[in-house]
Amino acid sequence: MTDTTLIGVARPRVDAPDKVTGATRFAADGYVHGLLHARPVLATEAHARIRGVDKDAALATPGVVAVLLAADLPIASTGTDRTAEPLAREEVVFAGQPVALIVGETEAAAEDGAEALVVDYEPLEAVVDVEAAMEPGAALARTVEDAEEDGGDLESIHAGVDHGQEDDPREELSGNVLDRITRENGDVTAALAGSDAVVEGTFRTPWVYQAYLEPQVCTAWLEPSGTLVVSTSTQGSFVTRGELARAFDLPLERIRVIAEPLGGAFGGKFALVEPLAAGAALALHRPVRLVLTRSEDFQATNPASAQVTRLKIGARADGTFTGIEGRMIVDRGSNAGWGVEGITSALVAGPYRWAAHDIRGYGVQTNRFPFGAYRAPGAPTAAFALESLLDELAQKLGLDPIEMRLHNAVVEGDLAITGSPYPTIGAIEVLERIREHSLWAARESLPDGEGIGMALGHWPGGNEPAAAVCRVDTDGTMTVVTSAADMSGVNTGFAVIAAAAFGLSPDKVRVVTADTSSGPYAGASGGSKVTYTVGKAVLRAAESAREKVLNAASQELEIAPDDLEVVDGVVRAVGAPDRSITVEELAKKALRFGGRYEPIEGHGGSAQTMGAPSVAAHLSHVRVDRETGEVRLLRHVIAQDVGRALNPALVEGQMRGGATQGMGWALFEQLDHDEDGRLLTGSFLDYAIPTAERVPEIETLIVEVPAPDGPFGAKGIGEAPVVGAPAAIANAVAAAAGTRLYELPMTAPRVWAALRS
Amino acid sequence: MIPAATAYARATDLDHALELLAEPDAKAIAGGQSLIPVMKLRIARPSLVVDISRLGLRGVAERDGELHIGPLTTWSDLIDAEPLGRPALAAIAECARGIGDVQVRNLGTVGGSVAHADPASDMPAVLLALGARLELRSPAGAREAALADVLLGPFTTALGLQELVTDIVIPLPETGSGSAYASVEHPASGFALAGAAALSTPAGETVALTGVGSTPFVLPEGDLREAIAAAEIFGDRFASDVYRRELAAVVAERALATARERAKEDA
Repeated sequence: MTDTTLIGVARPRVDAPDKVTGATRFAADGYVHGLLHARPVLATEAHARIRGVDKDAALATPGVVAVLLAADLPIASTGTDRTAEPLAREEVVFAGQPVALIVGETEAAAEDGAEALVVDYEPLEAVVDVEAAMEPGAALARTVEDAEEDGGDLESIHAGVDHGQEDDPREELSGNVLDRITRENGDVTAALAGSDAVVEGTFRTPWVYQAYLEPQVCTAWLEPSGTLVVSTSTQGSFVTRGELARAFDLPLERIRVIAEPLGGAFGGKFALVEPLAAGAALALHRPVRLVLTRSEDFQATNPASAQVTRLKIGARADGTFTGIEGRMIVDRGSNAGWGVEGITSALVAGPYRWAAHDIRGYGVQTNRFPFGAYRAPGAPTAAFALESLLDELAQKLGLDPIEMRLHNAVVEGDLAITGSPYPTIGAIEVLERIREHSLWAARESLPDGEGIGMALGHWPGGNEPAAAVCRVDTDGTMTVVTSAADMSGVNTGFAVIAAAAFGLSPDKVRVVTADTSSGPYAGASGGSKVTYTVGKAVLRAAESAREKVLNAASQELEIAPDDLEVVDGVVRAVGAPDRSITVEELAKKALRFGGRYEPIEGHGGSAQTMGAPSVAAHLSHVRVDRETGEVRLLRHVIAQDVGRALNPALVEGQMRGGATQGMGWALFEQLDHDEDGRLLTGSFLDYAIPTAERVPEIETLIVEVPAPDGPFGAKGIGEAPVVGAPAAIANAVAAAAGTRLYELPMTAPRVWAALRS
Repeated sequence: MIPAATAYARATDLDHALELLAEPDAKAIAGGQSLIPVMKLRIARPSLVVDISRLGLRGVAERDGELHIGPLTTWSDLIDAEPLGRPALAAIAECARGIGDVQVRNLGTVGGSVAHADPASDMPAVLLALGARLELRSPAGAREAALADVLLGPFTTALGLQELVTDIVIPLPETGSGSAYASVEHPASGFALAGAAALSTPAGETVALTGVGSTPFVLPEGDLREAIAAAEIFGDRFASDVYRRELAAVVAERALATARERAKEDA
């Protein structure tokens, strides 16, 4: 009944014209009467006790309205997570942690005041080495106990994986080890002993910054009624509302969170600056805006954790995988609430069958920034370890790397190492696509110094119930309302879903992101679940609106609804298209005083339980300069199972963006601290990202293995494309250089050193 | 990222500029591509910013066997300057093309770069290899100095507090010369981890390095590898001294090889 010809057509993003012409109002742009500007003062020590703060000079600075310390914010929670402790109370646990907010009439005044604030620190031992931090007796990165041990709602929103089995009671570890994950099945030792080839390695990945274009920003004010309004750059309005209610012990109905257009987030924008701006607004009863500078954003936010992965795998001579044994250490930094050890320990097995496994994950606190999510958290680093070793295994066994992977790739019904059966998954399909690609065949005939590598990466996706509303106006256009932050182009996807389900041209559909005071429920935009779950709700809302329009048309045309269809905004008799009435006419008959029909409006909800994992295979072609160690990316191919490409232009954009961020992991990105835990890479002069001149042509191959429960078969696709890219590049570098690197990023000095070792 | 409060004055002519620079802690600003970023970080907090961008002193011209580059000439100007089309002078535009991005190149000036004396800046190496000298003016009068004598150390020059560069002068290489610039850049900043400018003339060859020491410098004549082995080269957390020394040798050889190729086309 739906118009599926609209699906699969490349269209521009609905938000593109405003963004390109500068018409978009971001959270830092809106005019607010009487606005004050806040500037944070960041801790200069990684671990310290605050002995005292001298506010006098800062308060005496012209234009400074207030100097706020932790005790000055109306925080009701005693926890030590970023929501409950937006300003350090007594113990500083990372260099860059906000310790005070200077609020001024102008940005310049606030900055002058911030410069004048004097904080007296008593330095404590900084815990920086994550492996040493695990040893029994190691100094603790945090001495004040967390009274709540509650990460709020932030833990479970990223990926659909469980939390493993019981911990091994035999291991003795320090109090810095906040979480242990055990995933065990079968006898790994025996499986590896009985293998024809076994390979192992220790893989290291650094802290990586999300590098969104728009830094973290929030504006907060109180309505005369006392409602706290928060206009912010966030991935989740309801999540943020819940966090603010927890922090300030406010009833939900007293908080209104507006998710403004996002200038990039990638997992990093979850209620980090909102408690600061909201706390200041509540304390001062004036509107307060906090816009982090880039260097503050580098120091004070929540990048991806560093990881150390020791991995050992085996296979029989025919390539059948036997056992996988892994120890994965996740540096959570100062995030006591949650870590990626659960996700990374589940994903390190890849979308492959293993006879036996023994994977342990450790979440360890140190005195670095509190870890946060970054596109497919924990996955690129897991795939880097596994897919690097798979290439070594294939080489050892004399097998083709793709054929060996195909031999072990999971299909629907196979069990993941979490014990859950895989739903529909396109691992085999994407591997077959790159096997057929001419670039793969070219790997045998390359000039000296060049190499081609491949790797596979997957992301499980996630589920969360969601709702949406579709409303048709008297001009025949439709407005879709959801509360999902428009990240990665999801609103453009919603437009085509609603258009196809209703029978309208997509350019007649407008998508509105509602705030928490009136919008239908949606979880945070993350976990590659928005198109899958909210999109499904939009589909049902549009179908419901369609029923309304068919009922109205049925009465007007005196034809049964089942004999009517809606095509391009016209309701017509099936087989007799001249007997018709436009949706616009019907809306005009409905939406008026004394009208006869229900408004053409639908509400839809979704609550999928089946996951929709997405898999991507990569081919990377590189050249290694043997004299300087520089790696030049020459070409990249990505084949991804996207379920159904609702809008191929957007899907390809996600594939390119993910692959590009994977190039950053592979070659450029690394947040470094000195031995005292101070950030050394606090600007784009030190922290390298993949810029246009370094990113090669990226060829996108869309593979469609429909998700049974997704809208038109679509699945979440945002995270999978980053996962395998670093590993593919690492395998290409290994092929080009004749030596393998076990640490990311593969910078020129590291490659040069590896070539000489 | 908001500079500390500062006064601003636009100089109407050279004498006015020198007069304004008498103010303690005054700083001259031309394109602002080095000064403004450090002011935003409040590393530099001048009491007065003296805008010298309207003083003229811009453009490239040949006179009496010498090449004159006005200190307010931008990187973009250098890329397009006709007198620089000769293979003998090719290193100048080649180097300018690799600096910053279009916006930086449209504002950043060659005189500002020389006076800022960043130890990893590219163009001073090229100017050194080409044997440049500077014309300088202060209230005490005019003088000239070899560039090599002006660059004293990181962000340190022999310029007086009230002294400005008024001209950059390069002796035109004889026919049959070629020049080139090669570098390996830091992947974030784009500054040279090691950069080398080479001039090859029928009379001899000159190579200057940047990014590897306290200031760009000319290598002594003789075997390239030996000269680099003997040079004072530093290491930092991105590139060790061993690695940087190797890079210096690689870029020096590459620049020299290109310069020799270009010399064949210089008629």
